[in-house]
Amino acid sequence: MLTAIIEKEIREILGSAKFGITFGACIVLILLSFYVGAMNYKSSVEQYNAAKAQNLRQMEGLTSWLSLEQHRIFMPPQPLAALVTGSSNDVGRTIGVHRRSSIAAEDSKFSEDPIYAVFRFLDLTFIFQIVLSLFAILLGYDAVCGEKERGTLRLSFANAVPRATYILGKLIGSFVTLVTALILAILLGCLLLPLLGVSLTGDEWVRLAIIIGTGLLYFAVFLSISVFVSTITHRSSSAFLTLLVIWVISVLIVPRASVLLAGRAVDVPAVDNIAAQKATFSKQLWQDHQKAMGAFKPPENHDPTMMMDLFNAYMDSLSQIRESKMNEFSDRLNEDRHNRQKVQQQVAFNLARISPTASLTLAATRLAGTSIDIKDRFYESGIDYKETFADFMKEKTGMNITGGMFIVQSDGEEQEPIDPKEMPEYVYQPEPLRASLAGSVVDIGILALFNLVFFIGAFVSFTRYDVR
Amino acid sequence: MLGSIIEKELKGILQSPKFFATFAVCSLLMLLSVYIGVKEYNAQVEQYENALSLNNQQLAESTSWRSLNFKAYRKPEPMQIFVSGLSNDIGRWTSINQMTSIKLQNSIYSDDPIFSVFRFIDFAFIVQVVLSLFAILFTYDAVSGERESGTLKLVFSNAVKRTQYIVAKMVGSWLGLVIPMLIPILLSILLVIIMGVSLTAGDWLKLMILVGLSLLLFTFFIVFGVLVSCLTRHSNISFLVSLVSWVLFVLIIPRAGVMMAGQFVPVPRVAEIEGQRDAFAKDLWATFYEESMQRWDEFNESANGDGGDEDSGFEMDDELLWARMQEEDSARKVVDRQIEEYEIRLQEELRQRKTAQERLAFSLSRFSPTSAYQLAAMTLAGTDIELKARNLDVMQNYRNQFVDYTENKIKETNDLSGVMMVEINSEEGIKINNKRNDKVLDVSDMPQYVPSDQPLSKSLASIVVDGGILGLFILLGFAGAFIRMLRYDVR
Repeated sequence: MLTAIIEKEIREILGSAKFGITFGACIVLILLSFYVGAMNYKSSVEQYNAAKAQNLRQMEGLTSWLSLEQHRIFMPPQPLAALVTGSSNDVGRTIGVHRRSSIAAEDSKFSEDPIYAVFRFLDLTFIFQIVLSLFAILLGYDAVCGEKERGTLRLSFANAVPRATYILGKLIGSFVTLVTALILAILLGCLLLPLLGVSLTGDEWVRLAIIIGTGLLYFAVFLSISVFVSTITHRSSSAFLTLLVIWVISVLIVPRASVLLAGRAVDVPAVDNIAAQKATFSKQLWQDHQKAMGAFKPPENHDPTMMMDLFNAYMDSLSQIRESKMNEFSDRLNEDRHNRQKVQQQVAFNLARISPTASLTLAATRLAGTSIDIKDRFYESGIDYKETFADFMKEKTGMNITGGMFIVQSDGEEQEPIDPKEMPEYVYQPEPLRASLAGSVVDIGILALFNLVFFIGAFVSFTRYDVR
Repeated sequence: MLGSIIEKELKGILQSPKFFATFAVCSLLMLLSVYIGVKEYNAQVEQYENALSLNNQQLAESTSWRSLNFKAYRKPEPMQIFVSGLSNDIGRWTSINQMTSIKLQNSIYSDDPIFSVFRFIDFAFIVQVVLSLFAILFTYDAVSGERESGTLKLVFSNAVKRTQYIVAKMVGSWLGLVIPMLIPILLSILLVIIMGVSLTAGDWLKLMILVGLSLLLFTFFIVFGVLVSCLTRHSNISFLVSLVSWVLFVLIIPRAGVMMAGQFVPVPRVAEIEGQRDAFAKDLWATFYEESMQRWDEFNESANGDGGDEDSGFEMDDELLWARMQEEDSARKVVDRQIEEYEIRLQEELRQRKTAQERLAFSLSRFSPTSAYQLAAMTLAGTDIELKARNLDVMQNYRNQFVDYTENKIKETNDLSGVMMVEINSEEGIKINNKRNDKVLDVSDMPQYVPSDQPLSKSLASIVVDGGILGLFILLGFAGAFIRMLRYDVR
């Protein structure tokens, strides 16, 4: 009996014009998103390589590591970020490593190429969030009440069909058909990646698979909500309207409104205030030390080279003190702002999780490594790199490069040009898979829970449904 | 006759249960978006004013003309409440000083990426996504639905002209949807006033044009829904067709246009441009230092008379030395200028490429009326793609004034505070001379920075183009529906 109902459901869906049109649109959109993602990834790799090469070229011909004013490190483009853009276009991609001054990531894609920000990105998560959820509603809104309107529901129950079997068959039938159809479309899209020359590592394939799984779970949530609503309404038009309102609230309102609420609830100090505080403090330090420098008194020694060494050592020690004080000060301010930001994020995201759309966004971006944490991650790796680089410079030149000034002594001899390739290589480490999984498991769980709740809801309310 | 069909159509819309639900959702969304917009705008104004006062405070404390640093901020515009556009994506300020070139930094989204996770909903977004969806929802079965229920046959069994019928349909649905929609629009404008945002006369005019444009887009989707209903015979088919077209118009074409343009016209990254500049600067400085070294040698020789043993110690006229250092300083300035000119040339090239890319992207995306609307709305609100270039131009202009001003001041006051002189003298050891820098500067006559402002007259041309495109789309839709209706099989 169950299989007969499932079979009937599958045949009905596959044969309907509705399915043909929506599924056709889905395939086009999914393929388009994969294509656009792959092309974007390739062009950003090109840009990245060009920028990196230029970075090395500017060092060519330098004769001393000390004359290297600054160089840059870049966040490498990630293939998954092209499919799940998340925050990756909003945060800076370039860090200038100066001798002095603290580092900051600059030049986000959207601020550099605002053209992409005009209509935002067309990525896989966008298709899932907005288009597929809408299609899920479209395919499921009249599952029960539509049959009632057409009178076929009464017909079915004229036979000895248990209600539980009937609704189970309906749910399973529509889930299996639609999800299988989607998986086929997505697999086709995945196939595009290697065809277009984008190679993913094994780790990235696993991530992509989980992201797609999460997306399908999200699709299923909207499908089960639709079936549920169709079992509590008696006219398909009112079912559709109810679902559309739910869709608008879940996709458009809840996520944004929760960020707004969190923004009001948790106060985060403005960046400008912090920058001004730092500037004042730094100036204060510098002024104090300028006085101290003026007071430098060498011992009774008349050898100029010795004096120069002593002076250098003295300047070095001053700059070290200055640096450590400045670091301590700015660390404290940054830490405070960072902590508040974290609290704000927690509040916002927890509120937003009422909506399955928010859960999907959070889980997918976490898995793709483009969640909001990408900013901290890049910044922290930049700090680490700066330390490595300082060690490297100390080894090369014997000086603490972070100092405020140093004196280049030229003895007139021809010097060998430096080899920029000796420099320590910057490597961006994405979050390990295990950690990403752990971070997204809550959201995946929430999506599964939504599914379960509405599945049971549809089941229970159908057993009491008035089929006439 | 016309009147009674319109009346029937109006009743049909206003009395349907879906009308109330959609109307409520639209009102709620619009008010929410404007509320969020005003809150964010107020926060930005507060941040802006705070930043200005911090800036002034730092200026008042500075002691050296040479290292004088000014931060020029972008001013938040009240129109961004309705069309946030790119205002959150583009940096808010740039440093203006003698040493570094201008660069917009710290966009809102990069400072607080939390806001970028779910983006903002603004008025323009609601018009594009929600209102258009609802327009289609009410009109997709205008003709095919009546055919299915048999009322179409009934209507034409009377002496009703087909042209009259389709015009009445359009007018009726238009009145039934647009007039109720004006209520939440007016309410949200009222909310802006209640929440104490001060709007200038120019802003009001812009707001009125924005409402007009929004109604144009809304009208297009109403006409489009009727067109689809004339093209199909079953209402469920017409619903699907219009929904798929909606997805194309609203979500796909605008984005796909930009993506394609990005493929066709590649643009280098800013980091690459900066790398080129740094390489150029490095070469110039290398020659400069070499020459400078020579000049110092010559100077030492002439000052020393015989240019003899440097370790023997000599008395040098202090003022002569300062003058020499100033000379050296102006040579340095020349190099600075050269580098700056080179960078401006690079930036100019970059900008030209970007303009080409933008032109292609927007031409492609204008195949969708939604993009035409979005582009017009952003231009109107001053949050369009030109926002960055416009601000950079004003800032560059100001920087030129600023540099001239500080140069003059340095000359006038003979300020050498940025320069530190280290003397090595075997008699007295090392002497560091940096005494001339503890006075606070008087910056009262510094040129004032006036943030860029886009008067409506300048952007009107492009708004008219986009408005015209919208009008054209409406006309095409109307003509299509009209012609189809003449041949529609009413059975």
